[in-house]
Amino acid sequence: MDEKTRLDLYRVMVLSRTYEEAILREYHADKKPAFDIGAGLVPGEMHLSAGQEPVAAGVCAHLRDDDAVTATHRPHHIAIAHGVDLDKMTAEIFGRQTGLGRGRGGHMHLFDPATHFSCSGIVAEGLPPATGHAFAFQRQGSDRVAVAFTGEGAANQGAFHESLNLAALWKLPVVFVIEDNEWAISVSRKASTAISSNADRAAAYGIPGQRIEDNDVEAVYTAAGNAVARARAGEGPTLLEVHTLRLWGHFEGDAQGYRPDLAEVPGRDPIPAYEARLTDAGILTPDLVASIKEEAVARVEKAIGFAKSSPVPAPETALEYVFA
Amino acid sequence: MSVTDSAATTASAPAARKLTTARAIAEGIAQEMERDTSVFVLGEDIGKYGGIFSATTGLLDKFGPERVIDTPISETAFIGLGTGAAVEGMRPIVELMFADFFGVAMDQIYNHMAKICFESGGNVRVPMVLMMAAGGGYSDAAQHSQCLWGTFAHLPGMKVVVPSNPADAKGLMISAIRDDNPVVYMFHKGVMGLPWMAKNPRSIAPVAEEPYETPIGQAAVAREGGDATVVTVSLSVHHALDVAEQLSAEHGIELEVIDLRSLVPLDREAVLTSVAKTGHLLVVDEDYQSFGLSGEIAATVAETDPGLLRAPVRRVAVPDVPIPYARSLESAVLPTRERIKAAARELVGA
Amino acid sequence: MSEVRFPELSKEQPDAEGVLATWFVNDGDQVASGQLLGEVMVDKASGDVLAPAAGRVRLLVAEEQAARQGTVIATVE
Repeated sequence: MDEKTRLDLYRVMVLSRTYEEAILREYHADKKPAFDIGAGLVPGEMHLSAGQEPVAAGVCAHLRDDDAVTATHRPHHIAIAHGVDLDKMTAEIFGRQTGLGRGRGGHMHLFDPATHFSCSGIVAEGLPPATGHAFAFQRQGSDRVAVAFTGEGAANQGAFHESLNLAALWKLPVVFVIEDNEWAISVSRKASTAISSNADRAAAYGIPGQRIEDNDVEAVYTAAGNAVARARAGEGPTLLEVHTLRLWGHFEGDAQGYRPDLAEVPGRDPIPAYEARLTDAGILTPDLVASIKEEAVARVEKAIGFAKSSPVPAPETALEYVFA
Repeated sequence: MSVTDSAATTASAPAARKLTTARAIAEGIAQEMERDTSVFVLGEDIGKYGGIFSATTGLLDKFGPERVIDTPISETAFIGLGTGAAVEGMRPIVELMFADFFGVAMDQIYNHMAKICFESGGNVRVPMVLMMAAGGGYSDAAQHSQCLWGTFAHLPGMKVVVPSNPADAKGLMISAIRDDNPVVYMFHKGVMGLPWMAKNPRSIAPVAEEPYETPIGQAAVAREGGDATVVTVSLSVHHALDVAEQLSAEHGIELEVIDLRSLVPLDREAVLTSVAKTGHLLVVDEDYQSFGLSGEIAATVAETDPGLLRAPVRRVAVPDVPIPYARSLESAVLPTRERIKAAARELVGA
Repeated sequence: MSEVRFPELSKEQPDAEGVLATWFVNDGDQVASGQLLGEVMVDKASGDVLAPAAGRVRLLVAEEQAARQGTVIATVE
């Protein structure tokens, strides 16, 4: 892998983590002293992606703006890696008029037509529409692809199986990416899934399946490159599963009492590990790291500033945009 | 005024040749597929079989398997596929074989297809038609006889149209395809004019040959009358018209029959205008009685001007019971002509 | 005068009995060549009856009436 690609992967992951740390700060800032989920500038549920950056960075590096991406209730890292407008995304998370959905969708329902990005709060719900984007691309004769991100828990949902079968049957240009962060809220993968690797499920649908271990961004990059190339070449879908890490709770406010390995989780953070690897390779220096982080902070704080200074949607407009 | 006149006035040529409702739907789809290459059809048995209720007969021969696609039994997947393709600018017509089957895929329908426009602040559109067969009366029992339009109409973000006759069926299908919103298009099996099911004579009627749109959200006055307003939809329109003819001949009672044609948007004005004239309201609905369409019509009058009513609202609907198999039981729960006639007579005190 | 015959839907049984399910035209109507006149059924299969020529159609069989494949069910003159 060339140096530029490796640095770009690192940059994207740093931007994503910086973003999630800022959202974490903003989310909790006005919910004290006791956590009140409905209070503050960013009320409601919040599902942050710290620890899962390698999946987003490694896959989206191969995508163009006109490739479609469907994501889950934990979408920020994927949106950032795919190039969704950070200002509008943040405004939407803050429920502002200038947001991607004019404040009507919120953090789990981000829609960006410019990058063909969408996400959903219903488990596995993004897989069938991903087959639809892929179907359209196939019919239109382009080499565009669709990527559906989902969780290891979602692989037990009916929509997952239907979508894989249909995509395989019609050889649709779609890549299914499972983020196995081991936890479906509080239920471990071992307690929910009959087999040890969802990648093995690909065989049931006659498509290639690959599991990537160790949350390794470069291994994700390589596997995703092959899968996306297959799809662009008209060879049909692929299933990838990445063993990744949910650094924080399922949602903010999750005490994670059910998680026995909690103490050692921070030690498995993929970003310091990759930083060390690139430093050893002579690609990163402390100065470069500092400047990348500063850049990320500046970009993120600009987006948050944009959101906070944007108007709240007027109540009289609550009934608008139901229909086109 | 006959049921077909309303459609004839929106067509530009005299409607001389007749079609069944099923053929009219297929013709509407075919004409749009000719006009717009982004229109395609998918669903179970809609290709070679032509649709279980013949709504897509002839399309495969005309347009080929690339645009008329038989799917596996995967409603969640193929309805979701329709949504994704629509977001990318295609115009899918997805058939759900029976409305009763919505359960296996309702998430994709009401939570995704219907909400994308709103959640995206109008930035993303889903120009999709979800068509489905509905209704009973031929002993298909509890899981294959439901109407369920109340359920779809209740949930925001999808238009709901329910044609009662061939001319409206074609015009509403063309309008639905051209609409940039998700449109749930529900056709009662009993109005399709199928050779293998008891036929209502009005299921075969003149249909203009060229393409035309029937406006979504606009009711039709199927019959004018001054004594009582019957608000209804789908097959019940035919029953109401039959009863109206009888009551006129036998008792000199003149019923006004309003064919709603669309539930979302709902033409409340048409209801209010008629009730203002007659002072009496009977709602006939083959969907379940409680928490649905009939209550919505009653509420429309009650919250606008209850003084319009000279008698309480009457409803003839399917009671809150699963539809029974035995014919004697099924005909006891459906909104039959007998029940409609009795309710209308009671309503006007005749 | 052209004869309109009940279409052959069952090949195995050429004289199979079916039903004239639906007439789309009235007795005495002017019809165009190829116009859809009616629909027939044999068992569960259905088929279209098309006008072989233009002219006035005379219906010889009533709706719901049984008829055999190949028999004359209408004329056009």
